[in-house]
Amino acid sequence: MVDNGSTPAGSIPRNNQKPVLIKMLKSFPDDMPIVDIVKATKVYPPDIIAVQNVSLAVGKGELVFLTGMSGAGKTTLLKMICCIERPTKGVIEVAGNDLSRIRQSEIQKLRRQIGVVYQDFKILPRQTVYENIAIPMEVMYRSPKVIRKRVGQLLEILGITHKREVQAAKLSRGEQQRVAIARAAANAPPLILADEPTGNLDQEASGYVMELFEQLNKSGSTVIIATHDESIYRKSRHRTVELAHGLFSGHVGHRQLPLINA
Amino acid sequence: MGHKTYFHIKQTGRNLRHNWPTQLMTVMTISLSVLIFSFFLLIYLNIVNAGSRLGDELRLIVYLNEEVQPEARPMYENKIRDFGKVERIEFISRAEAFERLGRQLDSEKDVLADLGPDFLPPSIEVYPQRNMRNLTGLKQFSDYLTTLPSADKVQYGQSWMEKFGYFIELLRVIVILSGVLLIMATVFMVSSTIRLTVVAKEAELEVLRLVGADNKFIQTPLLIEGIMQGIIGSACGLLLLYLIFQWTTGHLSGPGFLNMLDFSFFPPKTTAIIAASSVLLCVGGSMISIRKHMRI
Repeated sequence: MVDNGSTPAGSIPRNNQKPVLIKMLKSFPDDMPIVDIVKATKVYPPDIIAVQNVSLAVGKGELVFLTGMSGAGKTTLLKMICCIERPTKGVIEVAGNDLSRIRQSEIQKLRRQIGVVYQDFKILPRQTVYENIAIPMEVMYRSPKVIRKRVGQLLEILGITHKREVQAAKLSRGEQQRVAIARAAANAPPLILADEPTGNLDQEASGYVMELFEQLNKSGSTVIIATHDESIYRKSRHRTVELAHGLFSGHVGHRQLPLINA
Repeated sequence: MGHKTYFHIKQTGRNLRHNWPTQLMTVMTISLSVLIFSFFLLIYLNIVNAGSRLGDELRLIVYLNEEVQPEARPMYENKIRDFGKVERIEFISRAEAFERLGRQLDSEKDVLADLGPDFLPPSIEVYPQRNMRNLTGLKQFSDYLTTLPSADKVQYGQSWMEKFGYFIELLRVIVILSGVLLIMATVFMVSSTIRLTVVAKEAELEVLRLVGADNKFIQTPLLIEGIMQGIIGSACGLLLLYLIFQWTTGHLSGPGFLNMLDFSFFPPKTTAIIAASSVLLCVGGSMISIRKHMRI
């Protein structure tokens, strides 16, 4: 019998081990992988294998492209890293925190340190662009002055300053995607996961987005970008990891961290 | 701390802005429930108050078949006080009774001209203490007084007392029922509104969870919403009752039943208790809904 391991956003992980407090991502040592996936498998009911026996280590401050065709398991892998899904088998550690052992309140603390760009954006259509981008900072009770300044910066970088007070529902897909990216980058989190961040953007906008990710990476954030848009990783100096049918099929790049199909 | 409060209030403001028709319906229901309950409570308290004032005049009259001599009075008094404490005892002779009747008849006292001063029986008027002024206590006291030497009959207006007692009891039931109605309506409406808010905000709550919002960040605005519904709802209900009260007392003044009752509005303490209870009920309703419908 296969445990589907599917966990709704925010629910408590089921296991017999005692929950532990999380370690903070920023203070995690530089020489250890900030994301460490060991023999992770994810099976959706009835028996759809999304990810199979995958191991991957991402170093602190690294920018990694996770590539592969649609259905290769990129989204599932990202969802497991940010605790939306639980692996059916294997271990996933973020900054040394075994995700299957941390308690509910700790998951929330962990999520505050991870910026995620979702494939379906998950923006709030009835709220304005400003309100959408401000959410992660409000959740961390940042001062309104800091929020205003940061939102202004992000809007400028992404070229949507003029849409600041527009309801998100009235934006084009590309603009909505940029709002989602700005939201993920709002707190300058130590870890950023982006699922197809340029999927709805033209070449120019894709350029702004990649520039933003590079900037965040330079300032210390670890960035994992799941994409099948070859144009953004082909000439990149960063590591590229390819997934096919839930298995890693190869990797290129200069930084050699453990990467195994066990 | 300052930023937390700011964001909780901001979030509440967003909820209210996006859900104002539902919020308005809830506030109206709470207002009506508070109005119904406090209306009956006001009537009940005023009638109980009036009954208590009328009760000050309450006395048991023991009619005797012969005069009580002054030297026998202490014996009667001791015997009466043996049953329980009384406020005072008055001995009325035949002559005093005749004189009193004459005073009461006033200009028509001529009708007594042909009757001798001895035609009325002597009596003892017993004014019981406040704690004995209930129907059962009075009945028992009355039965005891009939055992006094020379006692003929005991009267205390039992028919009126019984009717008044039943009326007070009926009002008490109405107050309790309207109180239950208030509790049910408030809890149901508030929990339904919060549930609707939660359902309407499902996508937002998901995003909030995904960006790491803690339970306080999600729950506090909903609780503030419940508190606001309670404050506004009870304030509107009580204000409406006050306006009705003012109008009624203004239009029904002059000699009559209402004047006899000397109607008065709730004292500030009772008003505060009603408002605080409504707020507590609303908070209860919010909590029920948050616990039931939100998995955070």
